[in-house]
Amino acid sequence: MNAVAERFAPQGVGSIFLYTHEAHPGEYYPHLTSMEQKFRHARALRDILGVTRPILVDALDAACHRAYGGMPNMSWIFNQAGIPIYKSDWTDARSIENAILYFLDVRERRERGERLAPFHVERLDYRTRDMEAFYRGLERNGPKAVREFRAVFG
Amino acid sequence: MAEADLIARYNYDEFVPAKFELWMNFAASPPLGQPAPDFPLWHLDGSETRLSAIWSQHMYTIVEFGSFT
Repeated sequence: MNAVAERFAPQGVGSIFLYTHEAHPGEYYPHLTSMEQKFRHARALRDILGVTRPILVDALDAACHRAYGGMPNMSWIFNQAGIPIYKSDWTDARSIENAILYFLDVRERRERGERLAPFHVERLDYRTRDMEAFYRGLERNGPKAVREFRAVFG
Repeated sequence: MAEADLIARYNYDEFVPAKFELWMNFAASPPLGQPAPDFPLWHLDGSETRLSAIWSQHMYTIVEFGSFT
């Protein structure tokens, strides 16, 4: 996602990472009990995962995350008026890139004077399922995170 | 649900369905094409901002929600 953010920044596309909570609390990154801890985890996430986008932190009760559907790694795209124009229950760089290219084309069509009307579309996108990388992420949180995930999903 | 209870339940201490499935409700998330709800957020330096202050800065803004995993 960093690469997508960098690619489209010159074209007026902003990108942030919003830290929510620990979906898989472990010994090293346990469940959150304070905003101080939440900021600490978010900074560690920036440094360890190499997130180059601005990182923002939700409230401890995650009012924002909960209101937007509470999925552990979802993505939304907003226009400048605060209208959501894309939402995905999982984050996938290819899907985001595809959507941004479409919306940039919408902007160009409007600039050319084309009259456009919005409509809704549903589409099933596909992401790479990299379980090895996922388990590496769980291990970073601690053995408890791995153990609990295996207990639920095998 | 009292605020302290909400905070404790949302920030669950173990990954078990009874604790994490409660919060996953994408089907009821805000619809596309309608003004989105706004919320306070914080920069890493502790300064407060709002989601609306973020999306108003650019023609389009990508917001990825997540944690370590």
